[in-house]
Amino acid sequence: MITANQRSPITVALAKGALLKDSVRRFQAAGLDFSDLLEEDNRLLMVPSRCGTARALLVRNADVPVYVAYGQAQLGVVGYDVLREHQLPVAQLVDLGFGGCRMAVAVKASSGYRRAADLPAHCRVASKFTRCAEAFFEQLDLPVELIHLTGSVELGPITGMSEAIVDLVATGRTLRDNGLVAIEDLFSSTARLIGHPLALRLDDGALQGLVERIATVQRPAHRPVQVPVR
Amino acid sequence: MALQPAAGARDLNPGQVDSNRRLCDLLANVYRLWGYQEVAPPTIERLDTLEAGGAIAERELVRLVADEPLGLRPELTAPIARAASTRMLGRPRPLRLWASGTTFRSFTGDGGGQRISEQLQSGVELLGEPSPAADAELLHLLLAAVASLGLPPRHQPTLLVGHHGLLSALLSQVPEEQRSLARHALTDFDPLALAALSLPDSQRQRLMALIGLRGEPVRVLYQLEQWLGPVPLLESLAATLASVTTPAAALGVRVQLDPTFQPHFDLYDGLVFKLVCQGADAPVAIASGGRYDALVGRFCSGSSEAAGTGFGFDVEAIRDLLESEAAPAAADGQAPGPWLVASATAAGLGAALRRMAELHGGGEAAELCTQPCADQAAADQLAAERGCRGAKWLAA
Repeated sequence: MITANQRSPITVALAKGALLKDSVRRFQAAGLDFSDLLEEDNRLLMVPSRCGTARALLVRNADVPVYVAYGQAQLGVVGYDVLREHQLPVAQLVDLGFGGCRMAVAVKASSGYRRAADLPAHCRVASKFTRCAEAFFEQLDLPVELIHLTGSVELGPITGMSEAIVDLVATGRTLRDNGLVAIEDLFSSTARLIGHPLALRLDDGALQGLVERIATVQRPAHRPVQVPVR
Repeated sequence: MALQPAAGARDLNPGQVDSNRRLCDLLANVYRLWGYQEVAPPTIERLDTLEAGGAIAERELVRLVADEPLGLRPELTAPIARAASTRMLGRPRPLRLWASGTTFRSFTGDGGGQRISEQLQSGVELLGEPSPAADAELLHLLLAAVASLGLPPRHQPTLLVGHHGLLSALLSQVPEEQRSLARHALTDFDPLALAALSLPDSQRQRLMALIGLRGEPVRVLYQLEQWLGPVPLLESLAATLASVTTPAAALGVRVQLDPTFQPHFDLYDGLVFKLVCQGADAPVAIASGGRYDALVGRFCSGSSEAAGTGFGFDVEAIRDLLESEAAPAAADGQAPGPWLVASATAAGLGAALRRMAELHGGGEAAELCTQPCADQAAADQLAAERGCRGAKWLAA
């Protein structure tokens, strides 16, 4: 368990939304209980663990690596997609396996495009993940005009604003319901345990012990159905 | 007209400048006691000097618009090593030098634009001494300098120590084509990348154990000896670290040997270290340094004296750390403000200036009230508003 001579209480940044339930479960199995975060009437953004030796910060997905990179949180749980998009100096410690989805290029089902290279040069591509999209099309040697959106990206092709989108696909239902089809995957993503590199190097064993427990505890037998990531 | 400092630049108020100078003076006193001489390396250097043979990425340098490729120094080591290897080549080795000054780094801000960060550094360089005695001297000097700062114990200082040669020795068993990837995975603290390398199981397990290996030097050195055998490098590292155990313990500095620790700038090729304190919320690095023989070798090729070690303190990080909780105490300890010398009429200016000269002659600070003051009470009120210790009012 957490040693008494640790340097300061461990702070963990957890992402609101689809990953939260599984994140809390994995920490619970490793000895830190943040289940107060799952209470429906919880409005607290900083919650102590039941044992009182650690605290959790409840933040938006993309902000998890930010809190960890600045050292305000020593550990965090966030999707690999966010790490690829934001490229912050954090240590990726454990592939937690849950929150599986893929980053994909999608087009209108009726468009006739079958792979990303079919798209015309300088076509418009809408995405929340413009850095991932930029790197992908650059490696394809296909110049595109990227349009940054913050949500409901599927509307890009529907309204005719863009030929394609780059977005996360979990079950594919949102795409299907909106008449879109994924034509190529950029990468697949799962939740990662991340850490502040300097805090890990200064660690006297408490942090490393927690990381190892999280890595080795049995993955929850009950795998909840993933909420489709929008 | 723009009224804000340019992209990321600092704009300090007088109290902060005072603190910076006080800290620099404390450190400089220690450097002088150890026989170090001050130098003032140029702020502007050629880019190829600043890049230090590719150790520092060009995108981190602030470049100047000039006829030749010039930039602002991102650290003090490369400019001092260049000067030591050229103008000071005739001087007997080892050469002990110290310098303080502003360093500049460029980075891309969240908005995508260029930001420039300024950092006030104070540090030493010990040149021309390849033996481990120089490493030991550096670490002892670092601890003596830390002692002079009077850091409260709550900052829990930790001296993080690594060694470039040690990491290379540990990686020598890894097939050459995977070595660079493995090194990056270890120094970037990326066990997932390590697990993905195509290596025999035994080697992967060894590297996974290595990335988790750090702590008290004696225990870590014992484990390293199991892996590497009794190599001379381990012996000399053990001797160097053993020599600092007592002074570090006396100061409350924990020594943490971390074989996979490497600093941000790839300048170093021997012992590397970083002194980290616990800030209010996050760890704060206040000093870092190491051995950079190859860098010196670039400036004086073929010389047997191509050796250098050094460290630098981040003065402003120390100031922020000391000020974060101790603000009221610091205010109490400040020198009293100057006297305000005021006269009743504009014609009294000459007398006021003579009165000031008397005060200055007696070593007391005094400032001139440029407007006439009706009476002592008005002068006292003005003095209080300006933070002066009191008013000297001269009747007409």
